[in-house]
Amino acid sequence: MLQLEGFLQALNAGLLLGAHYGLMCVGLSLIFGVMRVINFAHGDFMMVGMYAAFHIFTLLGLGALLGEGAGPYVAALLAAPVLFVLGYLAQRFLVSRVTGTRVGNLEGEGHYAQLILTLGLSLILQSGGQILFGSVPVSVPSELSSEAWELEFAGGALVVFVNQARAWGAVVAVAIVTLLVLLITRSRTGKSLRAAADNVQAALYMGIDVDRAHRLTFGLGVAITAVAGGLLASSYPFTPYVGLEFVIIMYAGVVLGGLGSTVGAFWGGLLIGVIQQCSALLLPTQLQNTAIFAVFLLVVFLRPQGLLGRVSERT
Amino acid sequence: MLEIEELHAGYGGTPVLKGVSLRVGQGEFVAVVGPNGAGKTTLFKAISGTVATRSGRIRFQGTDLAAVPASRRAHLGIAHVPEGRQLFPSLTVMENLEMGASTEAGRRDWARNLDRVLAWFPILAERRSQLAGTLSGGQQQMVAVARGLASSPHLLMLDEPSMGLAPAVAEFIFERLAEIHREAGLTILLVEQRVAEALESADRGYVLEAGRIALEGTHAELRRDDRVRQAYLGM
Ligand SMILES: Nc1ncnc2c1ncn2[C@@H]1O[C@H](COP(=O)(O)OP(=O)(O)OP(=O)(O)O)[C@@H](O)[C@H]1O
Ligand SMILES: [Mg+2]
Repeated sequence: MLQLEGFLQALNAGLLLGAHYGLMCVGLSLIFGVMRVINFAHGDFMMVGMYAAFHIFTLLGLGALLGEGAGPYVAALLAAPVLFVLGYLAQRFLVSRVTGTRVGNLEGEGHYAQLILTLGLSLILQSGGQILFGSVPVSVPSELSSEAWELEFAGGALVVFVNQARAWGAVVAVAIVTLLVLLITRSRTGKSLRAAADNVQAALYMGIDVDRAHRLTFGLGVAITAVAGGLLASSYPFTPYVGLEFVIIMYAGVVLGGLGSTVGAFWGGLLIGVIQQCSALLLPTQLQNTAIFAVFLLVVFLRPQGLLGRVSERT
Repeated sequence: MLEIEELHAGYGGTPVLKGVSLRVGQGEFVAVVGPNGAGKTTLFKAISGTVATRSGRIRFQGTDLAAVPASRRAHLGIAHVPEGRQLFPSLTVMENLEMGASTEAGRRDWARNLDRVLAWFPILAERRSQLAGTLSGGQQQMVAVARGLASSPHLLMLDEPSMGLAPAVAEFIFERLAEIHREAGLTILLVEQRVAEALESADRGYVLEAGRIALEGTHAELRRDDRVRQAYLGM
């Protein structure tokens, strides 16, 4: 009984945390899917998003205004427009030099240049973060992060605690992913993003402004991941180097879900959360990420297209 | 409608087009033929803006295209149906057509254009929600042509629409093009390897060889020319 309870507890924690991971992965996957760019700075953009949420919370006095219940969520959502602009500008002035319509004359279709550029961006964001924000860990004050619902099963013999901050965060994450999926499958803008992902040159022949599509994509991808970071920022003390911890999780999730598949990335992230939390039952906490990599390698071996990717999705 | 003067263009260090001059008048059907590697596709890319012009001038309906970025040229009324079709494989047939209608005119005329292309290519109505990447070659070519027409173009440029198709399917496409030209009065610029068919449908033609215009003339003149007969018509 005790073991079952422990498992249910870990599963529940894994699903809730995994929804946050899933949202992060979706942002990264959007950028990879549309632009074919491996963005090494993605975790650091998330870090900026977490600080944006933190400072929006304190500067606007959201704690007093909305209470420490709703305040952190509003702060996380308000970090999105800030990071959208940052991502949009990063694409406009830096990343666009090595992507999209301009890679024709670059070696390896610009992949080496992209690698170096996004790594550089990552270092700049980390050091810049340290200068601006310092290295003392902070977190967004939230009263929900210490509140839990108690779910009773089997007539009270089994009790599972559901952390309220994480639960609401998961709800927000699922809502955002749903909205994004609707946007890219239904709207004309979303369809032109997918068209540009399929074939840049043909998209230009249709009159689609591919450079603009890439700026929107980079902004949107960074903003989505920033919200995920903002949501975690209330229960997770962070420093300017927090991106490193998450970028690995994000890449694992994106590859698990099938590179370039938006919905797949969400499931990939969700799975990572579950693996991480459940493995804690068996392994010491230092080895949590080892379990993620074990599963990751297994999937890459047995299903290189990812769990949800189709082999022939892109030609 | 389209005037090209002394166009030089190429990739990186290698020049491909070495002084091409060409005109297409309003309502004309003009064919460009020539051997592999002559620069026909490069010529189309220069018109669409995905290959940079070194020197020379391209004017479309009075506008100098030098100042118009590639992504704006479709909006002026140029539809480019590229070599090898270049569909959006993970989009459905219908979504591919919608992308064709990204121009202002295409959005305005969407309902009318859709009726027309589905009448010309009825199979597309059946396949509307199929992913374009899973269509047969002939069906893909039909989507490519229909996608070009969905933008309500003034000039339709087709780069080897018969490439890789069985003769009967190629024949079907050529008949449709002639019909589209007749019924809609659309100006067409066609690049083709199947010289006999291309010259049959066209009013005028150009022979492009090694980046230069080797010959030009009306449909009848070219078909009478000994060099054309020998090199391209196998007579
Ligand atoms: N992306 C490219 N980079 C470098 N050279 C290229 C590129 N595309 C084409 N070329 C070269 O330019 C020349 C003209 O090519 P182009 O594709 O315009 O010929 P084409 O007349 O369309 O031939 P085909 O009938 O085979 O389609 C060729 O020598 C080709 O090798
Ligand atoms: Mg060609």
